[in-house]
Amino acid sequence: MDAQLRRGVLDVCVLAAIKNENSYGYKIIKDLKPVIELSESTLYTILKRLEDSKMLVVKSVEFEGRLRKYYHITPAGLQRLEEFKNEWKEMMSIYAFIVEADLK
Amino acid sequence: MKKQEFLNELRRQLRGLPQDEIENRVSFYEEMINDMIDEGKTEDQAIIEIGTVDSVVSEIAKDTPFKTVIKERYRPKRSLTALEIVLLVLGFPLWFPLLVTFFTLCLVGYILEWVLVIVTYAVEAALIAAGVAGIATFFVYLANSNPAIWMLGAALLSLGAAFLFIFVCIGATKLSIRLSKAIATGIKKSFIKNGGRA
Repeated sequence: MDAQLRRGVLDVCVLAAIKNENSYGYKIIKDLKPVIELSESTLYTILKRLEDSKMLVVKSVEFEGRLRKYYHITPAGLQRLEEFKNEWKEMMSIYAFIVEADLK
Repeated sequence: MKKQEFLNELRRQLRGLPQDEIENRVSFYEEMINDMIDEGKTEDQAIIEIGTVDSVVSEIAKDTPFKTVIKERYRPKRSLTALEIVLLVLGFPLWFPLLVTFFTLCLVGYILEWVLVIVTYAVEAALIAAGVAGIATFFVYLANSNPAIWMLGAALLSLGAAFLFIFVCIGATKLSIRLSKAIATGIKKSFIKNGGRA
């Protein structure tokens, strides 16, 4: 996949991975694996970017005697997901147009 | 490699980063490894999955801005003593030209790299111009048919070469961009690894 496109999509994938329940680093990577592979350092960068833009908040929770960072989505994060879905509706009609050109 | 070894080595190789950034990075990997172990993996398996310390440092270098690296490197770790200040001032005629030379050399290298790319585009432009001019000449001197035909042949040859040369231009540009990125990452990586405490 084109690097630029991948970057934009990854942010949204991570947001989707924490949408329904708060999640932690390793679980996010595992949950996304069937859809898109990402390395630990890539995830770190994305989480940092999302935190800086206030789309998620981090809370350290004690788990089996150690701290684990849980990522919580914010209203801004939810809004970003909605925006993305709308953007892709447009994208899909462009895609349909391109595929149609093949058939003619 | 065991977990603690990996984390210690990572911490050591990241020493050119700001302290809180090092802690954040290391604790992030520590949590990852712990979670993998909880899932039933051995320490060795978990670390193999993460990759080598060197590859992790490369990735971190790639997404660390130059500003952070430079700032950390030249941030004084303690205040200077009077003697050091005196030496710094007296040594100014020595270290300043050296510093300027160093940056000039870096800049020259960078310019040189792009000049080579520009040259390929200049050749491309020259080939197209020669082709177009040749064809124009052909029409102007149509009456004198023999040299005109020669001119047309040369012009078409030139345009053909121009077409093929486009690929050289594109290749050179891509190569140059890749090279610039690789060099930038390399410099950042060496700064991060060697730290500001050199």
